[in-house]
Amino acid sequence: MIWSIAWKNIWRNKKRSLVVIVAVSLGIIAGVFIIGFVEGWSKQRLDDAVYNEVSHIQIHNNEYLKNEETSLTIIDPGRISAILDTLGEVKSYVVRTKIIALAGTSWANTGVIIYGIDPGREKQVTRIHEKIVSGGGRYLDPAGSGDILISDKTAELLKIKQYIVTDSVIEKLRKDAVPAPVLEKLEAMKNIRFRSPADFRESLGSELARKEYDEYGNTISSEALEYRLRNKIQLTLSDREGNPVHAIFRVCGIYKTTNTGFDQMAVFVNAGELAELYGDEEILVHEVAVLLNNIDDAGKVRDRLIPLAEENSVRTWKELAPDAAFMNDFMVIYYFIFIGIIMLALAFGIINTMLMSVLERTKELGMLIAIGMNRRRVFTMIMLETVFLTAVGAAAGIFLGWAVTGFFGRTGIHMAGWGEGFEAIGFAATVYPIVTPEFIVFTAVMVVVTAILSSLWPARKALRLIPVEALRTE
Amino acid sequence: MKVLELINVNKIYNSAEVKVHAVRDVSLDFEEAEFAAIVGPSGSGKTTLLNMIGGLDMPTSGEITIGGVNLSGLKSSELIDFRLKNIGFVFQSYNLIPVLTAKENVEFIMTLQKWPRDKRDERTIGLLNAVGLGDRINSRPSKLSGGQQQRVAVARALASRPKFVLADEPTANLDSKAASTLLEIMETLNHEEKITFIFSTHDPRVVRMAHRVITLEDGRVVSDERQTQ
Repeated sequence: MIWSIAWKNIWRNKKRSLVVIVAVSLGIIAGVFIIGFVEGWSKQRLDDAVYNEVSHIQIHNNEYLKNEETSLTIIDPGRISAILDTLGEVKSYVVRTKIIALAGTSWANTGVIIYGIDPGREKQVTRIHEKIVSGGGRYLDPAGSGDILISDKTAELLKIKQYIVTDSVIEKLRKDAVPAPVLEKLEAMKNIRFRSPADFRESLGSELARKEYDEYGNTISSEALEYRLRNKIQLTLSDREGNPVHAIFRVCGIYKTTNTGFDQMAVFVNAGELAELYGDEEILVHEVAVLLNNIDDAGKVRDRLIPLAEENSVRTWKELAPDAAFMNDFMVIYYFIFIGIIMLALAFGIINTMLMSVLERTKELGMLIAIGMNRRRVFTMIMLETVFLTAVGAAAGIFLGWAVTGFFGRTGIHMAGWGEGFEAIGFAATVYPIVTPEFIVFTAVMVVVTAILSSLWPARKALRLIPVEALRTE
Repeated sequence: MKVLELINVNKIYNSAEVKVHAVRDVSLDFEEAEFAAIVGPSGSGKTTLLNMIGGLDMPTSGEITIGGVNLSGLKSSELIDFRLKNIGFVFQSYNLIPVLTAKENVEFIMTLQKWPRDKRDERTIGLLNAVGLGDRINSRPSKLSGGQQQRVAVARALASRPKFVLADEPTANLDSKAASTLLEIMETLNHEEKITFIFSTHDPRVVRMAHRVITLEDGRVVSDERQTQ
């Protein structure tokens, strides 16, 4: 019956209870959404770091880490491979050549790191093959002689990411519902080739009105974009004797990850061709990238590999991508800090409401104690009222927060304007918030704990009532 | 059989400026099934005496014994439990639990005493029928008149078969018809249930119906008379 009375008591002042319930709900919705947002962002960074950039574990020659000289290959790579083949935790691994080079086209040059890879094996460890942009050709083919896979950023730097408004582009824009007056203005730019996004956008901005540019600029840019696939790229590097060598590769594909810094440097060619260019018959192994079945095993596997790897260095993703590791480790602390602040704010609201409720019912509580309701039951009743009041708001908040976060988890939130900045430091411009069951349980537990703690003061106030005095109040 | 005994009970309130001797050397005893009224002018100590009998307040000196148990020897938590099992209360302003129905209000004490549901239901329905509210068992207090609420309070006070019922001016807020009905019900239940009723009152109708009238003046018992009905 105490439970029933407690439940009924919270509906005595419906308006006041609803205000608290709505406040609790909004707090929880905000909490779930913001945590989901950061969790999504952090997980994307971690996934991108692991699956595009560093894998779970990397092995290098110790000296190579100090100065990335091409001659400093992994010591006894055959033995390292044999060891990795015996480890059950290892899902797959890949060996790579990494050589610093100069890449050039007829229009521009840029420094790059050439990754000599086995495209087939690489697909088992990284997801670069899934990152080919629309209209950006194909992934590296093991049989494709002279092929090079470069990033969207490198294409931009080498000026083979171009923009041109042709009749077919105008026709596509018409189908995209771009208004005729805008299309008429594009006539002035027709068949002019722009070799940088900045030049194209500047010209577009001068032709279109501000509103038209804001509304249709992105659509026009994406339709006018043209990667010059099969364009020649000259790579210049030092061979094993230290002499400069040049080779011509043709662009087979354009990829784009969320990390512009990585994209700007990494170009991929077949390892055999790179070894030949370097003047070696054997494939040079500068890096072994290992993907595990479970990311949590990284430390354990590293500890097992270190004594076996001799002069080679073994590092986990945490050392290789400390920003992702920091975010990952910080999430738990972040949960506590953020949810703690929300709960603290809620606690004050709940305490205030329950104190008012106890004050208004002084006479009734005095009567209950007088007729024989012991203090433990009075305490339980006030505590249950507080828990029920909070739980109703929390249940609504958790459900709505989960629904809102789930919705944005599917559509993604694109941070227009800041996207480029985030991508420059390795973070995705479009965030897909995530709500994990663990977080829902964590929030629910925090709410119950907050409600119980918040009930202590009002319940104590009720316990201290002297029935004969309480009964005299009006 | 004595259900309640007061021996030289005194109550003195000490405030900063003034010392009030509210009850002076009161010695009384009550037998089973008595129907007794405590009367006297305002400030004569009626409510203070009733509070002490009910274990809501403690005497400054003297002894109050209920069923052989000295109230002064009980700890606060023991006193609450003692009240639950031995004393029924009827308050001037009804004091029902507003969120519960008439039936739930009457059941409440029995629930606290962990009576089984079937016995609770039987007793509750019986008492509400006895106070003439058998057709209002699911009504909340706000849907009942003052007289009806006070009848629910009487049913609640009797629910767990206490040793006695204390009623502090039970008819003070009722019109004469409601007051008469309530008194008749209380008298009938006193007779049928063999439970002692002790009530403070100003109301001459209550005094007329009482079997025993104890008069207080300045905290002293100035008369203790038995009336034949």
